Amino acid sequence: MREKYRRENRTSSVTYEENKLLSFHKESSVTSSFRVHKDGQVGIHYQVGELGDEEGFRRAEENLSIRPRSYPFELETGKRSRDMTERELTDKELMDTAAECMQYLLDKYPRFTFRADFDQTKTTNRWVNDKGMDYSNTDCSVNVSVGFKHVDSKDISDGSFGFSLRDFDKKVFFKMADDYLANYEKEVKLPEEIIIDTQYYGLLGCLSNQLNAENLALNISLLSGKIGEKVFSEDFTLWHDVSDKECWFNCFWDGDGCVTEGDKRLFIEKGVVLTGHSDKRNAEKYNVPHTGNASWSFADIPLDGWVNWRIERSEKTVKELLDGRYCVIPVRSHGGGFADNGDFAMPVQCALLSDGEKILGKLPPFTMSSNLFDMFGKDFIGVGCDNPIYNDKQILIRVKKGNIL
Amino acid sequence: MYQFPKDLYADVRIEECFECWMAIQNGEMVSDGIAEETGAFIRVFDGNMWYTSTTNDIAGIQAELDNLATLATPNPDILEHPMVKKLQVHQDTVLKFDGENCIKNVSRAQWKNLIDTYIEACVDEGISEINAWVVYDNASYKKKSFYSSKGAAIVQDMQECILSVNYGITVDGITTGAWKGFCKLDFENLKGHEAEVISERDRYLDYAHNAVQVEPGDYTCVFAPMATAIFTHESFGHKSEADFMLNDKTLQDEWVMGKKVGNEKISICDRGNMPNHGYIAYDDEGTIAGETWLMKDGVLTGRLHDAKSASTLSEELTGNSRAGGYGCAPLVRMTNTYMAPGPDDPEQIIAEVKDGIYVYEVYSGTGNATFTLNPGICYRIRDGKLCEPLRINVITGNVFQTLFDVDAVGTDFKLIDEGSCGKGGQSVNVSDGGPTIRVKKLTVN
Repeated sequence: MREKYRRENRTSSVTYEENKLLSFHKESSVTSSFRVHKDGQVGIHYQVGELGDEEGFRRAEENLSIRPRSYPFELETGKRSRDMTERELTDKELMDTAAECMQYLLDKYPRFTFRADFDQTKTTNRWVNDKGMDYSNTDCSVNVSVGFKHVDSKDISDGSFGFSLRDFDKKVFFKMADDYLANYEKEVKLPEEIIIDTQYYGLLGCLSNQLNAENLALNISLLSGKIGEKVFSEDFTLWHDVSDKECWFNCFWDGDGCVTEGDKRLFIEKGVVLTGHSDKRNAEKYNVPHTGNASWSFADIPLDGWVNWRIERSEKTVKELLDGRYCVIPVRSHGGGFADNGDFAMPVQCALLSDGEKILGKLPPFTMSSNLFDMFGKDFIGVGCDNPIYNDKQILIRVKKGNIL
Repeated sequence: MYQFPKDLYADVRIEECFECWMAIQNGEMVSDGIAEETGAFIRVFDGNMWYTSTTNDIAGIQAELDNLATLATPNPDILEHPMVKKLQVHQDTVLKFDGENCIKNVSRAQWKNLIDTYIEACVDEGISEINAWVVYDNASYKKKSFYSSKGAAIVQDMQECILSVNYGITVDGITTGAWKGFCKLDFENLKGHEAEVISERDRYLDYAHNAVQVEPGDYTCVFAPMATAIFTHESFGHKSEADFMLNDKTLQDEWVMGKKVGNEKISICDRGNMPNHGYIAYDDEGTIAGETWLMKDGVLTGRLHDAKSASTLSEELTGNSRAGGYGCAPLVRMTNTYMAPGPDDPEQIIAEVKDGIYVYEVYSGTGNATFTLNPGICYRIRDGKLCEPLRINVITGNVFQTLFDVDAVGTDFKLIDEGSCGKGGQSVNVSDGGPTIRVKKLTVN
């Protein structure tokens, strides 16, 4: 039985350094995985660059003898194609757009220097096998990231902002730049109650490890023995979700070729932990529900761990969730994280104060601290139904204020 | 080799990469793979900007070069451009790893035997607290070729071999991740470290049983050499990368040569041509790797450059332009960076602390003005003696103050050959080193 993954990627990018155009870059790549399955084993040939099917499968078959990998699972079937592309810019349009955005920054914010990357990436993944499976997924977006430094700052960089759009709109860029920079020079005090307003991808990494089915089974997760228990906030519901527009460049099938119903799966419902995430191997080995979360590997067999988390949004806006309180936007916040016991501490080197709609001023640097169970438990306020500041979903969490840095 | 376009500067960097890996987790082989790929980064410069391309089609490099040249504006004076003038021209072949020690010659059975040897010696099913373990290896070899329109033609190689033994140690429902890893330049040197792994495992077992959460606050900290290595990299190393201050008057005034920036006991060096994890013979613009003293006796004496930063700041090239792979443009990066040993007895450095923290190891860090260190095992110091282990999330300090707050630098020294450094979305291999040091005040959470 033969199987083939193929990824085609095209990227154009424009980079500015210290306010000046530095480079225009083009990249085009093809990556393939040729796989030959026999008697519960698979031989794999990983290829970067074009290679004909005949030679690719010949090498995979050769590897079935040299480096056989155990994969005693049925191959999947199914046909489906999804293309998320909304609009593609030409290289000239990308360069002109970048120039216009940079000019806006330079005209309006002359007391800052900027490093900026504008890229357009288009990726197509396709997976076919002899059982008739034929899945493909295409996505394309313009991705912007801007690092800024105030002219008086003695730091290397003061912060950054960025976003991705499938149909790029300069107005979104202008608004985000204004949000971050217009009141940057106005110094304000930290509120007594610290509510962090942030994109949540980084915070959910720890939860991914705790929800790994193997970690749960081996009793090395903080959630081991807590399946079925309510350990988080009533307002906290967590999905793996590749169904909607908030999913970037993710395919709808996992590394075992499995598709979940509606392209999503519920893991925590109203604070109750329902199940861990698993691939076929872990589901069978530990006799736990199979959730379709195998990661792709072009050069090896899949492993448990592919998740695209989405916290269920509240019906309220961010401002309504704040209910008259202020929140803190951590513009530059790194170096800390979660400890083994779930405790969390993070320096916030640059922070801005917001009312949930607009930025009010710059805060002094400080350290925030919390705990995994508090963050998504008693201190979880919610994820608003709107996307202010970040042009993306964002979480509101109460944290403790530690040392002023 | 290539027909370079007229009236433009251009270079081509080709990387032939080999990588293999294997992992056995709780007795089951969960990972076992091999990957080979070749790619090229092509650059054309017209005096105003770069036009660049990444391709895996090696036969198509000339066409790609020609295509990029059509986007650029010919500049008859390109060789007089200050940055282009700076670029060195070497023709050299430095292949240190393509002989019998090349990891491409190591068979799958040899890798498997190596892992089995460590499992046999270091995995003890009788230790009830250990309920998960994984032993893995990873090895990579890379041959780089560099050709420029000025006439450079350089071929060099590098390789690394990693072996790591990891444990999940669970005590009272909390699992401590424990590990001991080795990164060497050849396969043979990965052998024979079982006793070090067991010693470290037992240290983690003690830590898992006895560690207490630190009370957040400001503390005197003594760094073991492993911790000083990362401290040196994060607190000062990143500030020595000159690309952050090209046209920034505030930063140029702050980091002016000859300025006292730290205690006179501190001297810091970056050296690319050492046979360590950050080794390069030439950087990715064709500049020969050398030794740059960044700080001597507490005084700023140098910084790290690529051709652009060296020409902009009217300083000399240092051989620190490095790319994180064939898909990446080179940036100013560290190589092997270390704080030199000082005059103080390491045991005395601890003995003089009435109340403080001993930082045995640091996993990672970040390097802005407020630098951060993410420590592993730490101990409380009371009356000059190491006491109970501590759980600490993050240590922070301000670079402008902390380098003056270093009041003891040990005579001991260790180079850590395990690191990689991230910048601008790229990662490059580095090594970091240093002695035992003491810092009067750091913020601990």
